[in-house]
Amino acid sequence: MVAYLRRNTALLVTLGIVLAILLWMTNRYEPKVTASIILSGLTLGALYFLVASGLSLIFGLMDVLNFAHGMLFMMGAYLGFTAYANPRLLLNTLPLVLALLGGAQVGRWLGGMLPDKLKKPWLDTALHLALFVLSVAVILFAVRGFNVQPLVANSATAAGGAISTADAQEAASLYIPRLLWLTLAGVLLGLGLSRVGPVATRRHTRWTGALIGVGLVAVAIAIVPLRTPAETFLLSVSSNIRFVLALLVGLVAGGALGALMESALIRPLYSRPLYQILLTLGVSFVGTELIKTIWGTAGFYMDIPAFAAASGEGCPSPNLWSWFSDHCASIDVLGRPFPSYRIFIIGLGLVIFIAVALLLQRSRIGIIIRAGVQDSEMVQALGINVRRVFTLVFALGSALAAVGGVAAAPFLGVNLGLGAEVQLQGFIAVVIGGMGSYIGAAVGALLVGMARAFGDQLVLSGIQLPWMDEAIRMSPSIARASTVLIMALVLLVRPAGLFGKKE
Amino acid sequence: MTTSTKPIHGAQTRRTARNWLGPIVVLLLLAFPFILSLLSGQPVDTGTPKFWQGMLIQVFILAVFAMSYDLLMGYTGILSFGHAMFFGAGAYATGILLKHSGWGLAAVLLAVVGVAIVQSVLIGVVSLRVRGVYLAMATLAFAQMFFILAQATDLRAITGAEDGLHGIPVPDWLNPTDQRLTFYFVALLFMVIMYLIARRVVDSPPGRVMVAIRENEARAQMIGYNTFGYKLMAVTLSGVMAALAGFMNALWNLNATPDVLSVETTINALLMTIIGGVGTLIGPMLGAGVYQLLGYWLNATFGPRWPLIIGVIYILLVLFVPYGIVGTWQLRRNDMRAGWARLIRPLRTGLEADTPGATKK
Amino acid sequence: MTNILEVDAIHTFIGQFHILEGVSLAVPAGSITALLGRNGAGKTTTLRSIIGLNAPRSGRIAFEGSDIHGKTAYAIASLGIGYVPEYRAIFRALTVEENLRIAERSKKDLARRSDLIFGLFPDLKRFYKLPGGQLSGGQQQMLAIARALVPENRLLLIDEPSEGLAPILIESIVDALRQLSAHATILLVEQNFRMASILADRYYILDDGQSVHAGQMADLVQNRELISRYLGAGYAAAVAAPESPAVMPTAQQGA
Repeated sequence: MVAYLRRNTALLVTLGIVLAILLWMTNRYEPKVTASIILSGLTLGALYFLVASGLSLIFGLMDVLNFAHGMLFMMGAYLGFTAYANPRLLLNTLPLVLALLGGAQVGRWLGGMLPDKLKKPWLDTALHLALFVLSVAVILFAVRGFNVQPLVANSATAAGGAISTADAQEAASLYIPRLLWLTLAGVLLGLGLSRVGPVATRRHTRWTGALIGVGLVAVAIAIVPLRTPAETFLLSVSSNIRFVLALLVGLVAGGALGALMESALIRPLYSRPLYQILLTLGVSFVGTELIKTIWGTAGFYMDIPAFAAASGEGCPSPNLWSWFSDHCASIDVLGRPFPSYRIFIIGLGLVIFIAVALLLQRSRIGIIIRAGVQDSEMVQALGINVRRVFTLVFALGSALAAVGGVAAAPFLGVNLGLGAEVQLQGFIAVVIGGMGSYIGAAVGALLVGMARAFGDQLVLSGIQLPWMDEAIRMSPSIARASTVLIMALVLLVRPAGLFGKKE
Repeated sequence: MTTSTKPIHGAQTRRTARNWLGPIVVLLLLAFPFILSLLSGQPVDTGTPKFWQGMLIQVFILAVFAMSYDLLMGYTGILSFGHAMFFGAGAYATGILLKHSGWGLAAVLLAVVGVAIVQSVLIGVVSLRVRGVYLAMATLAFAQMFFILAQATDLRAITGAEDGLHGIPVPDWLNPTDQRLTFYFVALLFMVIMYLIARRVVDSPPGRVMVAIRENEARAQMIGYNTFGYKLMAVTLSGVMAALAGFMNALWNLNATPDVLSVETTINALLMTIIGGVGTLIGPMLGAGVYQLLGYWLNATFGPRWPLIIGVIYILLVLFVPYGIVGTWQLRRNDMRAGWARLIRPLRTGLEADTPGATKK
Repeated sequence: MTNILEVDAIHTFIGQFHILEGVSLAVPAGSITALLGRNGAGKTTTLRSIIGLNAPRSGRIAFEGSDIHGKTAYAIASLGIGYVPEYRAIFRALTVEENLRIAERSKKDLARRSDLIFGLFPDLKRFYKLPGGQLSGGQQQMLAIARALVPENRLLLIDEPSEGLAPILIESIVDALRQLSAHATILLVEQNFRMASILADRYYILDDGQSVHAGQMADLVQNRELISRYLGAGYAAAVAAPESPAVMPTAQQGA
């Protein structure tokens, strides 16, 4: 018992501080105010958790600190918002991506049939360099003049005002050639990729891969005539279904982006640790610029889906159970209404926390991940393809962040400040919890969320010390800045964080 | 474990042989406004010459900023993601003091140095307790704190909140619009002085300890160096240089906006360093020039979304040309020379067939 | 007798350091072969080169007649090579069961081999649900060896199993390895010369990254001059007193 206490001093001290603050709050504020501060803290904590858990898992397993994680969160918010409120943008860009990916699959298969090595190594290098350059050129040629702005400008938002879908999207006769060119570019890219790396480690895609590639291209072309009807259909279904769709889009896109990022950009840099962070920072920069290019610099508001937006008779819901039937926009908490969508975010965070915890504890892949956190080399020496697990974990972490972005969109809005903000809070959470610890990420996120909610309340209501005549009131920025001080404190006192292992 | 093989002192050992290069470049830069004036036929303080003076002034300022960043990253191996806070604090301190205190320029300059020393020592003492990615995160967080505070509405009277400070009063003799040529020479002088200081530090024994820390901190510690002290020194020096660049930036733009404190500013420093070459002094300065001119050209060609292209270039550089222009040159100099020699050998042998031994060289 | 493993003139670099400068080995199937040499001679790097964790830059490695040079570590391991690294590199956060399960290459591996494993190391059965980090040093070593036994590996690369263990534990490890040699070929790196000499049939001596000597263990034990030349005087003295316990002064570098 004593040993246990000594081992977990930092944890216990933290708990003590949290308890003391809670007690102080219950004295100072009415219970209903305290309750909504705590709920706000939990909401923020759930979002920060979705960022911090991915950061922590990725860092734990492959020692890569992903500075692009906030960008992925923001990308999730934009993509989710698009799927939710403006599906025509998605329907008009998705085929482009699918065609390229499908082409790349076919290209990799074709690459397997080429001779393994050309006579001179420089010829080999020159060939795949030429393939890359050529494919980039074809991509640029394929998307020349493709105007995304009118697609973005849907009714309620954006400066361009409403442009009807018929005017905004390209005719199939113009659009399908783009897809074919992109398929060609993909084939060239795939050919180039299949020739990267030493001969012994090249992996050739089987014919099933090529079949999937052909399938992707076929799907891309099949979407083209369906663009307008699909948009009409999507906008006619209930916002709840569109919201689920948005979450799925976030999940898949986040996972795909993460996997792509790991396998294409980070993998070559495992031997150059410092450059990995430089690279992720660059990816974050490029991703943010890409968002600006597509969606513009003005932000969007995303409507709260119907399951948490009802109002009128009987609202706010008297309790959580009745909310399940009346779907009010807010729920009564000790006499004060609290937005029910935020309760949903808390629930989502909880569900994901449990799901990932189960994955880590119970599944074989979870065992591999936990083992890899300690010694990924040894895992490999047991005959396990650790690189594939790396890609998977990177995809998982990115998917969590992107889903967090979708969930946050109706709450925090969809704007360019989102990425940097959650990234900062995610970092702080991870540092507090201890890098590489899943539980640590959860606890850290919760603490940061609470500190934010509490700090916001404190600066708004003002701080009045005994000798002051009037309370000092400050803007929420001060509360935001002060979470950084918490991190500095933790770094000073216990650099490994609350749950981190000592070096 | 992985011992990096970054090219560092290749330049230094051969520096004596190329000592003439620096002065020549400086002379060329001194003459540049007049040459351009001759070429364009416009007076030196108007039109094209004036515009390009402006471009180069920006390059000089960025060059110092990038160089200060590389003192940390390239020489000492400290990866800070918060360098903007020094640059921005310098700019803000300049703006605030000139606007609100009524001090003279020299006093403000001294005050900026003082502020930078205090700031970098404080930040250094806290963040140098950790290493690697932890340090990158900590510095990023501190920088974000300054960024948030600069935008906080509470301090609007002093910082101008999200609008920043505008219309900073500068002495008439240094007005960047009316006295562009003077400003040009001052900025050039500023850069040269900063370079000489950095060169002096890097070549001094403490500079070598900095490199030793980058290569293997545990070893440097074992030999008996107080590595924390040296790292703090590097952070302080780098912070002061960045703050001075911020000082110049505020004078040049006559404003200080929250942008100078944003992550993008740090990324710019990184970009310039990576483009030019990590672990060299010339590299980041060259990188600043390339960055500024490339940015100008890309902006003219592709419009306001040009940073997207710069970002892609940056990623490609990190992946394929990690040592930048100068670093790659130092690494491959011999290969390249050999390659050139091979290329021109047939020419030479053809031309100098009658001079025996000419091809031996 | 056929060779299960053949290593031919491999050169391995770690960073810019040239660690192995031509190591050649042949490990006959069914034997225990000891890899001897002073600290820093390249013994561990040789094992890591074979398993693919430090892929050699040149040379040839053949396992059961087929070339494995240039394959990734996981591909090499799944051919049927088990690696037991030094310092008992078990997964401390995982339970004993998970430490064994992770080594499975098919679902039933552990069930199939549990009799063998728990027959050799009954302790592991007792602490089945305990985190590996809470086991004693000896038990951790047993777990590390057991982990390599879960799949049907035909070759085991074992690095310094006796390091830092109490004499009584070393005896039990020796017993276990001896029983194991009935199931798999063992390439053993061992600083404890007495332990190596008891166990091994054949030996290779590495010096400065090169394989310099090879032969039957029985001959080496007689050759004190060779021992003190390559392994240090401490070894030779230890051989001279055969009644001394299996624990010996580990070879001193440059002694």
